[in-house]
Amino acid sequence: MSLPGPMRNKGVAGFRVRLFAVMMVIVATLTTLGLYLAQRRVAADAERNLQQIFQSELASLHKLEELRHAALADRCDVLAAKPRIHAAIEDDALDLLYPSAKDELRDLMESEEPPPERPAQWLHARFYRFLDSRGRVIQPPNPRDVGELDPKSEEQLALRSLPETRQIGYLLENGGAIDELIAVPIFSTETGDIISALVVGFKPLELADKRTGMKSGIWVNGRLHLPSLSQSAQASLNKRISNAVAGGEREENNFRLQLEGAPHLVFYKRLNPQSLFPPAYEICVYPLAPWTAQLRRLQWQIASAGALLLLGGFFASHLAAVRLSAPVKKLALDSEENREKRERAEAALASTARELERSARYSADASHQLKSPVTVLRVGLESLLARDDFQPEVYEQLSALLQQTRRLTGVIDDLLLLSRMDAGHLKIESASVNLSEIVDEWLDDLSALPDSPEVAIEKQLPPALFVAGEKRYTSLIIQNLLENARKYNRPGGRIRLRARAAGSEVVLCIGNTGRAIPCGENVFERFHHSATPSAVSGHGIGLNLARELARLHGGDIRLVCSENDWTEFEVRLPAANGAAPAA
Amino acid sequence: MRRAGSLWTSISLLPGVLLAGTVVEGRVELPPSHSPPVQAKRYEIVTRGGVLSTQPPLAVVYLDGNFPRPASLPVKQVVQKNLAFIPALLPVQVGTKVEFPNLDDTYHNIFSYSPAKRFDLGRYRPDERPVPAVVFDKPGLVTLRCDIHEHMRGLILVLNTPYFAMTDTAGRFRLEGLPAGRYTLKAWIDSKTTREKPVQLRSNQTLHVDFP
Repeated sequence: MSLPGPMRNKGVAGFRVRLFAVMMVIVATLTTLGLYLAQRRVAADAERNLQQIFQSELASLHKLEELRHAALADRCDVLAAKPRIHAAIEDDALDLLYPSAKDELRDLMESEEPPPERPAQWLHARFYRFLDSRGRVIQPPNPRDVGELDPKSEEQLALRSLPETRQIGYLLENGGAIDELIAVPIFSTETGDIISALVVGFKPLELADKRTGMKSGIWVNGRLHLPSLSQSAQASLNKRISNAVAGGEREENNFRLQLEGAPHLVFYKRLNPQSLFPPAYEICVYPLAPWTAQLRRLQWQIASAGALLLLGGFFASHLAAVRLSAPVKKLALDSEENREKRERAEAALASTARELERSARYSADASHQLKSPVTVLRVGLESLLARDDFQPEVYEQLSALLQQTRRLTGVIDDLLLLSRMDAGHLKIESASVNLSEIVDEWLDDLSALPDSPEVAIEKQLPPALFVAGEKRYTSLIIQNLLENARKYNRPGGRIRLRARAAGSEVVLCIGNTGRAIPCGENVFERFHHSATPSAVSGHGIGLNLARELARLHGGDIRLVCSENDWTEFEVRLPAANGAAPAA
Repeated sequence: MRRAGSLWTSISLLPGVLLAGTVVEGRVELPPSHSPPVQAKRYEIVTRGGVLSTQPPLAVVYLDGNFPRPASLPVKQVVQKNLAFIPALLPVQVGTKVEFPNLDDTYHNIFSYSPAKRFDLGRYRPDERPVPAVVFDKPGLVTLRCDIHEHMRGLILVLNTPYFAMTDTAGRFRLEGLPAGRYTLKAWIDSKTTREKPVQLRSNQTLHVDFP
């Protein structure tokens, strides 16, 4: 029997759907992961790339500045060596300082005609001023000669004290122009003391990167100079940078910012670390649009790759499902067959159990039903036997009938006991029972039996051998075996009883002479009768009952041997705890 | 240098010998002599912490007061020899004309940015005639420099009085032919240090004054 076809197909389809769903989840996860990693990578690449550009730009800028600084430092050394400069400073003739320096610094100032080369232009200053011994600006007598500055801007050239080393600063003039300031100390050639400082203002060098659409500017002391950005963008950028600079001690960092509706990456780096001038930062704004476009392109590529993978996965999963479902189909069929078999077996088992129970109940009922009439019959026969007005041969017949009735009672008792055991109603009240005593009692009874043949009894039993069991049933086992031994003996034969303790068991062997039990006969079978005709009568349940009882006690009975005029049974019963003395 | 020393000694002692009469003499406690490096031996004027002084230390002792200026004063000279001013320190009375002859085989450009006298003689060679000269018409200390030789320094101490004398390197001085009366005797030690003592001078007496 198997499931109907449509149901089986449904199961396979379900399996396929599940397989496909799992594949889809895996592909979707991989695609998402790929997209995420690509995005991160592109972002990191962009950042690193721009950072490199920024650094290299700054580095080239610094090189040019070094050139400028070196040239300026040389000039200052020359200046410091000038007797007139010394004279002006030392002899308190500051009004003569600028005229004295004028000739010396003439070529430092921008010339009227355009410079022939760019580097030369970078070396031209917009203005210069001297600082006095307290760092204040010495007013020039004629500002036109030294580069004009509005008074407020001029004030910003002052320093707290004369610098010992070169100081870099930036000046954002009111007009919006920005100047790079270099303050160089002037040392006395005689004493080595710093007697003054020269502050020179240059046009700041500009970063020249044209590839990335970068915009650069300078942030000085809360003000941003980045004229290529719109006013609002400048304001928001200025706020961001002011916060960044004020918040952390970092001299260099970068962040993302939305400027003029597009994402930008902003780098900033302190231009004048540890300067006496106010802090100034180089600001570079790189548009991220090209990188975003590249990212979008990459995202499309990965997404379409994912889609292709999914499509491929769909077909692959379809194929795999068909492949895999074949054994599954077979498995389903097999399992159906198995289930049917199992169900059949279970049904049979149940019916057997029911039948068994019924038969057990039946035999119990039957035994009970039989017992009463037999008792009536026996009582009747006994009362008849008690009369004395019958012919003697009547007594003999009555006596034979009574004998048969007694036997019937025994059979019924045995059957009742067996049926109770079969139904599982018999419970053993386990106690310590002296086996030797029981054997002795039954040997006494045996010799008293009227029709017993002349047999010799050999007994090898310890005086006290205790088993765990109920005395009634233990006694019944011994009785059955002894009766058999007597019953199937030959005249002039013998019965041998031996018992010993073996570990947790007690072993009792009962052997008798007489015809052997033919090979292949199961003497323990219920209602067993020997195939060979015998003079001896038996109802065929004694051995069976004895074995069932022994097993109920946790022991057993087996036929040890039956040949050459000798049959021997062995009874094993559990020894009573601690009560059994060593044999 | 010895020659130069004897020259200015004779110049400063000359009026004393002629006038004689009232004399003040004594000793100025000079600052310890810094033994200068060998290379700088010829530098007569040194700057230490913005203070100019002679090396070895010398002082100018003079009688402060208002004295009538004579109609003509002798012309003095500060020569440039071996890239140095000789004498390194020259005290003169206000109105004195000082010539600056160049005795080296090179150009010199003597100038001063000092408030007492600003001048610039420009570059000139030894054969420059007339010898470039400057009249010092304001009292005060004038620092002489050469625009070409940055190490060259000279001092001219322009005084209101005709009564002055230079000490020797031990600080001893002698002023002769002084007028009687109450005056202040001053000792110029360096550009930032001038000591003074009131003196009562009597005719033809010799007064001993020490500047500790």
